[in-house]
Amino acid sequence: MDDDSRFADFVAARADALLRYGYVLSGDPHDAADLTQEALLRLHRAWSRVYRKDNPESYTRRIMARLHISVWRRGRRERLFWDLPDQAHLDTLPSEAEQDLWQALKGLPRKQRAVLVLRYYEQLTDAEIATVLGVSRGTVRSHASLGLSKLRSSVPHPTATEGSAS
Amino acid sequence: MNEHLEEMLRSALGHASELAPQAPNNLSTHIVRRSRVRRIRAQALLAAAAVVVIAGGVAVAVRGAGHDATAVNPSVTPSPTATETRIPASVEKVWPEAVWKIPVKLPGGRKFNPRGFVDDHTLLLETWESFEKANAIYAYDLDSDRVRKITNIRTPKGVYASGYAAGGGRIVWQTIDVVHGKPVTSFWWAPVSGGEVTAVATERAVKGSGDKLTVVGDRLAFSLLEGGVFTVPLDGGAVEPVAGAAGHHILRWPWVGTPGLYTPEGEASFQELLNVETGETSRAVVHPEEQNVRCGVTTCTGTRGDHTAFYRLRDGSQERPLTRSSMSGLARDRFLTPFLPNPPGGQALYDLVTGKSGDLGLRPNVKGQSFAVELGFGDGRMVAYPLGSEYVIIDLAKIR
Repeated sequence: MDDDSRFADFVAARADALLRYGYVLSGDPHDAADLTQEALLRLHRAWSRVYRKDNPESYTRRIMARLHISVWRRGRRERLFWDLPDQAHLDTLPSEAEQDLWQALKGLPRKQRAVLVLRYYEQLTDAEIATVLGVSRGTVRSHASLGLSKLRSSVPHPTATEGSAS
Repeated sequence: MNEHLEEMLRSALGHASELAPQAPNNLSTHIVRRSRVRRIRAQALLAAAAVVVIAGGVAVAVRGAGHDATAVNPSVTPSPTATETRIPASVEKVWPEAVWKIPVKLPGGRKFNPRGFVDDHTLLLETWESFEKANAIYAYDLDSDRVRKITNIRTPKGVYASGYAAGGGRIVWQTIDVVHGKPVTSFWWAPVSGGEVTAVATERAVKGSGDKLTVVGDRLAFSLLEGGVFTVPLDGGAVEPVAGAAGHHILRWPWVGTPGLYTPEGEASFQELLNVETGETSRAVVHPEEQNVRCGVTTCTGTRGDHTAFYRLRDGSQERPLTRSSMSGLARDRFLTPFLPNPPGGQALYDLVTGKSGDLGLRPNVKGQSFAVELGFGDGRMVAYPLGSEYVIIDLAKIR
């Protein structure tokens, strides 16, 4: 099997998962598609090395996270390879509390959001997050704590909306 | 409280991720195609490492008699051996006549970038005021190791000098500006002996992005990324289209062809060639299932339907396998830079005509990263790369 076939297999198997990750990172379907596309382009360029020495999926996710927080990237988008359907409706999220939280995430600075996504969606440790984003562990902790406190103040207290659930 | 918020966040992110768009079926095909186009574009734009050399190669061709008139039916026969994998001797041992090592910094400590050959023993160097933004060009004499400034270069913010070529005692280059959202190219020259920069005055603005320049006698020939080959007197005047070359790009003067290096749909680059001095034409043989076919003046490389790589003459004859495909084609129709087995890693310069190869000396660092030399297409003459405290310079034209 040659490099291009392996790459095609990887994209076929993992593109949707990468898009899901891109979507929670950015909160926007176009940004999700753009991040995924750009990261896969870079992965292709480095494929023979990454395939042999690294994990292609973590490599791609690392690129997506870094692209998303990079100042350089803001306002830049490449032409997408495919047409996206209309924006998904948020009311498909199961509870009002989750919808509020999803909305509140949009108000966070990119780095804070990225740290929270890496911690609570990717389930990475703070040390791993520091490596992915290329920042210190202390920076990760402070972004996480600032992000969480903003979310806490912008979503209703759980006991107020859900009674004394669990 | 914190725990609850964290739990809710996990759940909300998980549910929201399900609202993400889905990938189209053919995503990898698009990615591979654009990745190749990007690589080629990047090479064309940066004219970095090896690509550079429009300058010297062309100058020699223009001065020589008959240029490459016989190039479509070359007398050289590709060597039957495929790309080698053992570790060869160093390039300076294999081709001592073609390899130089010069310090990576100019006297005074400034860094520079080699941009091509001015003549057989003179390098054109560029210094930068910021990333890729040139502020001066220099001539470096490889025989005496003397360096002298040719001229200072000043460009507006976001505008870069590129496409250097040499000939007729002048260094020419271009800048591409964006006017009302569209690219406009300007041309400039300075005497090789040193002096002020002069604009090549054109009667009308040149709309489009210059992709390759060549000095032909007292005229500047250029092609546009958008297609089309033109000439203009170096001392200024009307820009004239070259007959029969609409949509063409300069490959190696007097050879122009179509499509150029930018082939977004995966077409074979330079499948059609035209010699603008003799009118001779050539259409390279390309089979339907082949991909990434890159043609030069005499040869083509690409991958077959079964993903194995090949090279052969333009007429389809003398096809040979390559162990690894070359995205950008062959430099001077014969050179490749295959990767060496790791360990020790690095790259070799491999000559398909003689079957010789030389170790470039590059090795991965502790992180496994190393400087990669990607050879240019067309007539790329210079290979230049930093190695420790020296720059290695290879003149491919001196390898016989």
